[in-house]
Amino acid sequence: MAKSWTNCEGLTRRDGLKLGLGGLIAGGLSGALSARARASSAADPKHRTAQADACILVWQDGGPSHYETFDPKPDAPVEIRGAYQPIATQTPGVQFAQPMKKLAAISNDLAIVRSIRHDQGNHGAGNHYMMTGAPPRIPVGCGAFVSFHPSLGSVVAKEIGAPHGIPAYFSLPRMSRSGGPNFLGSKYAPFVVPDSPNSSSFRVRDVTIPSGLTGDRFTSRQQIRKHIDTMLRFNDASVADPTLAVDEFYGQGMQIISSKEAQAAFDIHQESDEVRDAYGRNTFGQQALLARRLVGAGVPFVTLYHGGWDHHTNIFKSLDDKLPPFEATIAALISDLKQQGMLERTLVVVLGEFGRTPKINKDGGRDHWSNAMSVMFAGGQTPGGQVVGATDRQGYAAIERVLSPENFVSTIYQKLGIDPGQMMYTPEGRPTHLVSDATPIDELMG
Amino acid sequence: MPDRLDTRLSHCRVVMSALMLVAFCSVVSHGEDLPHQNAAAGDAISFELDVQPILAAQGCNAGACHGKQRGQNGFQLSLLGFDSDFDHDAIARQARGRRLSIASPESSLLLQKATAELPHGGGRKIEVGSDAYHTLLAWIRQGAPRRLADEPVLESVELKQTEFALTPSGTAELSTVATYSDATTRDVTKMTSYLSNDAAIVQVDSTGRLKAGPVPGETAVMARYMNHIRVANVSIPRTEALPDGFYDDLPRANFIDDLVYEKLSQLQIRVSEPASDAIFLRRVYTDVIGRLPSAQEAQLFLDSQDSNKREQLVDHLLEQPEYVDHWANQWADLLRPNPYRVGIKAVLNYDNWIRQQFRENVSHDEFARRLITAKGSTWHNGAATLFRDRRSPDEVATLVSQLFLGVRLDCAKCHHHPFEKWSQHDFYSFAAFFGKVGRKGTGLSPPISGGEEIVYVSTKGDVRHPVTEEVLPPAPLFGTIDLAEDDDPREALVDWMVSADNPYFAAVQVNRVWAQLMGRGIVDPVDDLRSTNPPSNPALLDALAEHFQQSGYDQKQLIKTIVLSNVYATRSTPNESNAGDRLNYSRHYRHRLRAEVLAEAVANATETSESFSALAPQSRSNQVWTHRIESVFLDTFGRPDPNQDPPCERIADSSVTQTLHLMNSREIDGRIRSDSGRAARLAGSELSAAEIVTELYLAIFSRRPTADEQRYCESLITAAGEQRRGAIEDLMWAMMNAPEFIIQN
Repeated sequence: MAKSWTNCEGLTRRDGLKLGLGGLIAGGLSGALSARARASSAADPKHRTAQADACILVWQDGGPSHYETFDPKPDAPVEIRGAYQPIATQTPGVQFAQPMKKLAAISNDLAIVRSIRHDQGNHGAGNHYMMTGAPPRIPVGCGAFVSFHPSLGSVVAKEIGAPHGIPAYFSLPRMSRSGGPNFLGSKYAPFVVPDSPNSSSFRVRDVTIPSGLTGDRFTSRQQIRKHIDTMLRFNDASVADPTLAVDEFYGQGMQIISSKEAQAAFDIHQESDEVRDAYGRNTFGQQALLARRLVGAGVPFVTLYHGGWDHHTNIFKSLDDKLPPFEATIAALISDLKQQGMLERTLVVVLGEFGRTPKINKDGGRDHWSNAMSVMFAGGQTPGGQVVGATDRQGYAAIERVLSPENFVSTIYQKLGIDPGQMMYTPEGRPTHLVSDATPIDELMG
Repeated sequence: MPDRLDTRLSHCRVVMSALMLVAFCSVVSHGEDLPHQNAAAGDAISFELDVQPILAAQGCNAGACHGKQRGQNGFQLSLLGFDSDFDHDAIARQARGRRLSIASPESSLLLQKATAELPHGGGRKIEVGSDAYHTLLAWIRQGAPRRLADEPVLESVELKQTEFALTPSGTAELSTVATYSDATTRDVTKMTSYLSNDAAIVQVDSTGRLKAGPVPGETAVMARYMNHIRVANVSIPRTEALPDGFYDDLPRANFIDDLVYEKLSQLQIRVSEPASDAIFLRRVYTDVIGRLPSAQEAQLFLDSQDSNKREQLVDHLLEQPEYVDHWANQWADLLRPNPYRVGIKAVLNYDNWIRQQFRENVSHDEFARRLITAKGSTWHNGAATLFRDRRSPDEVATLVSQLFLGVRLDCAKCHHHPFEKWSQHDFYSFAAFFGKVGRKGTGLSPPISGGEEIVYVSTKGDVRHPVTEEVLPPAPLFGTIDLAEDDDPREALVDWMVSADNPYFAAVQVNRVWAQLMGRGIVDPVDDLRSTNPPSNPALLDALAEHFQQSGYDQKQLIKTIVLSNVYATRSTPNESNAGDRLNYSRHYRHRLRAEVLAEAVANATETSESFSALAPQSRSNQVWTHRIESVFLDTFGRPDPNQDPPCERIADSSVTQTLHLMNSREIDGRIRSDSGRAARLAGSELSAAEIVTELYLAIFSRRPTADEQRYCESLITAAGEQRRGAIEDLMWAMMNAPEFIIQN
């Protein structure tokens, strides 16, 4: 990897520390490093070749079955192929599973990767691997400065940022497991919106003044705060005074509250009934619509966490109810992005932590299976109407174009103009590659 | 999981690669200087003594290059050349010997790659015609022997000078000498790798030249030559001297002040002014029991004229129930396992056990003993969960050595520790103390792992060296132990750990407690005690460790000694001499309150409590026993992710999400404006506006208002008339959103 050499030129471990001098306790480090990251990424030619400005990552927590979604196996024995028939799609020769009707109808906008695999068969580890691109850390001793790899969303937030003071990484309705910033610092933690945007009283939490409080009263609170805030500030950077960060974020918070653009991004009630209906009048549907609004306002990364895909029992009964509204929302999101002229610059990715076992178990379910999984990509200049890789005839294992979680996250980074091979620094000053194998999935890069 | 060991090995290599990468990226090629003088003249070239140093100096065997696991493009060397047999085999035999061409040495792949005559990912490392080139060439021409007859062995490496005092921007030269078994020596200065622990203070280049930065400070520089490591200490005192006798006239509370002042005096740094009673009060409450003083508690302390009132306060705090939860909460960060993997019941029992130890105020040696020798059911003895969580001798060994000895053995699992003396043999001999830990019952079955497991002492259980496969008897990292056949080896291990002859056990714990109270460890990171990471004040660390040992490892005594020192009670305000000091405690280092402490402060300020699932009503945030218990507040202000193994990473900095949460969150707004909260109580009371303002300042800022603040706030409340509750709420909101509330001053 010549890359590691070009990247580390002239940088020593302690230069990382030097840049964050004094930030180790107080938190100035991530700020200093991100300033450098911005400076370097602006000059990086890769940034100019970004294929997308934003990514909406739909996370099917628990691990969706590849058989019942994008990788049907009609020729397998019944205990493997399951209850669903394959259906034809818009793309000649490509079949999806029976419930995926709306996505099948727009398959020329989609790229399905059927051959990502890894070796982490439990949820926590699988989440960690797919969400960060780094294998789960072995259980070593806890202690000072244990740090894990930052998630996709946090890295994107750090590298790209968002305008109007808006946080650059949202996660709805909760942070996905291992979806945090880790050593990048709190600044890049996801902004979590736990409430359902399908509720008539929905508001994004914390970004507007509390209900029942008049604007006048809020203004007077600001004035009181200004008056009573008498704590000394130490502006000499070598002191590393953490109050300076509090001031900075207070200013950013006020900017969010007072910015029309920011507030519009949060206000789903501005959408017409027609659009809201198209996404589905349910929590997930409206979350997807909110994600589109956030992306439209310049947010580069939104995770839509969708739980309940761990179908150890009664998988078909459960998916009969679960898949149709889910896939309809994804299809609506893609169609709407296309209509708004945003699909070209917005990457939509749908996946969970792994696929599911070939043989249907005694409880009518499928268990964890990381030897094969299907991942859907759309937008962000991803060539549509294609399937990348394949599993064997019975869906046991990825056998063609076998790809890794590293390839998966590298694809997202590369599309967003972020160099997946770049070096990052932990608070200890330890350098680490953003992705150890920085090879994106070529077929998706156009 | 057949590939589990592989994963582990690769992790280890990855970590080390990263470390090694930096260690060598800055090493630029300097082929002219060679230890072996007469390469061109036909002297026999030694692989170990001549060739390996070239590969090391050029970074060929660094973790980022051929030293990483699986090597680079099929060519793998041992990390930093710790295994010469392996490396000789890789160079001379593997790839069907095509890396060397004895018949035509110049066309050897090794040379053509190193000189970039053939495309080489690492670029040109050696110039054609340089001394290094000629050495390699001569070695190949001589048949590339593994060893020479009567070849001496490298025995030691020394720096001629290890203590340097430089002026700002001043320079000095390191000089490194290698001594061999035949009593010969060589100057290996330019074949040695150097790394400054703080390049802002002093930089070191590949020739061993030190260059001080523009500001005063101190740091260590590591020198490594073929697995031998030496450390030089460099200090750059301030050039403007302090007034004569400055430190002689300062009052001292105990030995901490003596030792910190002595160091500051050497560096010519003036300590900041003493903190006021109010600052001390807030600091000691949040540090020792993790909450704010109530208005009454604050008033009592501030009004007291007793000259001994700080000591009385500290004694009082150490007996509060919040002490237990505050310190148990910090230990839980170190021990708490992933609940998805280990099971929620085991996690609860473990948490209860940790709290029980602090409730009983067991000494630290007893704490270690109960944990490390734990036996029985994970449903009855929470400490046994350690062995449910860490399932193999090597996993337990790394945890125990890091937490209780400050020795990080992770690296030595896979290869000779590159910054340390520990070998694989040392590591697996240490791990062998846990070889007889038996487990029965129901093991792990993520994501629920609900079963009960029994930990017992088995009659057998061997730990083998992973390479030689030799069975290793339990052996401590240094010194000796007595171990009878039937003993639980863990008992002997704890005896050795806690004995007065073991300096690590006390040192790592005093350093940890010191860091929690003072904002930075004397050694940093706190549990990484090694010669290449020296303490900023060795005498202080030693004295604290000795004090801790003499007190019978009594944590309360240790805390008391630290917080009653004048050094603890220094202002955060810098002076012209100490703004840049981040190592020597010449001022208090401000920090944002930990998530649980800030959550508790909100509860204290508003007189309301957050309600947690799986906990009794009115529970405090530091009683939360698993991070699976939901709390938007704690997530926002940073706590470990329960999905991680181990879930112990904390982020201590600030974010806009935190600001917005304090400003606008419905929950916090609801608590400020609650009918059963402080604002409602005060508004409905007989208290005057003046009394209300005083109470708010005492309760929220732990101080009295200044005359100006008193006047201003009173006027707000008075002007509101009948609506005074709203004015009080607004004032509380303003105070809770000010840095004075969020940052410990």
